[in-house]
Amino acid sequence: MEENEGRAMTCVSSDLQDSNCCPICLGPVLQESYLDKCFHKFCFNCISRWSKVVASKHHSPPSSVKCPLCKTENFSMIYGFDGSYFRRQYMNEDSGDRFTLSRAQRYRLQCYYTEPGILEDIFDITRYWKSQKYHQPNCWIQTWLKREIQALIQEEDVDIIVHHILGVTSASLSWREQKCHVLSPEKKQEEFKMAVSEAARPFLASRTSRFVYEVQLFLASGLNIEAYDAVYMQRLGWSAPGIDTQASQTELVDRNTVTSYLYIFDADCDGNE
Amino acid sequence: MQASRARLFKEYKEVQREKTADPDIQLVCDDSNIFKWTALIKGPSETPYEGGVFQLAFAVPEQYPLQPPQVRFLTKIFHPNVHFKTGEICLDILKNAWSPAWTLQSVCRAIIALMAHPEPDSPLNCDSGNLLRSGDVRGFQSMAKMYTRLAAMPKKG
Repeated sequence: MEENEGRAMTCVSSDLQDSNCCPICLGPVLQESYLDKCFHKFCFNCISRWSKVVASKHHSPPSSVKCPLCKTENFSMIYGFDGSYFRRQYMNEDSGDRFTLSRAQRYRLQCYYTEPGILEDIFDITRYWKSQKYHQPNCWIQTWLKREIQALIQEEDVDIIVHHILGVTSASLSWREQKCHVLSPEKKQEEFKMAVSEAARPFLASRTSRFVYEVQLFLASGLNIEAYDAVYMQRLGWSAPGIDTQASQTELVDRNTVTSYLYIFDADCDGNE
Repeated sequence: MQASRARLFKEYKEVQREKTADPDIQLVCDDSNIFKWTALIKGPSETPYEGGVFQLAFAVPEQYPLQPPQVRFLTKIFHPNVHFKTGEICLDILKNAWSPAWTLQSVCRAIIALMAHPEPDSPLNCDSGNLLRSGDVRGFQSMAKMYTRLAAMPKKG
């Protein structure tokens, strides 16, 4: 009996495998999502809905869901793949509890949609390198990196990534060992950019170069996070995230609707095409 | 368009396109309601159902394919896993083992497989199940064959 069912099932799947059809809606796959073990492909909405149906049959959300095609137990789905970067959702992860960006993080994310260079007259990156200001450790950089990376990859737990990037950053700025190579500022900057890009690229993909620029901008400012944000936002004509005026509220809401979650990924995709 | 409608429409097109693909199954959608289907399936060969044509009624829920369709035999059949009076079918894939990757067509195939391989240990038709469980295969087969002849074959003359 079991065998016969299996056969009937594979008939369906082999028909579908040839085309770009989602086995659940039988339509073209929208927002490709893959199960992590068997790598069968579904629409994001179809497989999410199905895993919710499965979860609703249990008292507590199960940690795995059987693939509708091959019955393999899968623990997460992989989606939002844009060529180098993807997102993952675990089956027992309550989508309502997912990490949401704070206002400050939203403001940081929106900075990545502005033209670079609007603050260069205030925070001079070239001078930062020339005057070798990088020898002074920056005590806010870790907190700043954490917020930046949380905003960019929209995950809460980024400690390992922060640790990694911070390590590379401080090493290439020789905060730890003060062995002063005599390097030209340009060379030093190039080295820094290379090292940090390499460290950040696996996590930030197409946002890497802008991220490295923003790191330098923050370091060049020599300010703490609050002061830096205030200057940044003043220049952009936005109000600070800390100030809870009615105007800033509505403004943030407005901006929020523009930079919705999907839009962020569409923008990434467009960049790669 | 509602997901279930869209999906049923796709299945409908597929059925129209592949009409000859599986000669044992003929799926027909109700003229006015895409949630109501009937199927004619041929009794599998080398079983007491051979030569019979059995009619199935599908009632598809709004949540399809996240929920399985309800299927029952309209044609009377003597089978351990089919209720003799209501035609209700006891088949795991129509209950807890349902997967949204099944289609109406593949459900028909599974039912044909069930006809060929009864599961006497989870019977809906106890008389039929008891015959098989007690090892009276001949008794079961002659009963099943008789009902196939009575109910599932065109009346002659």
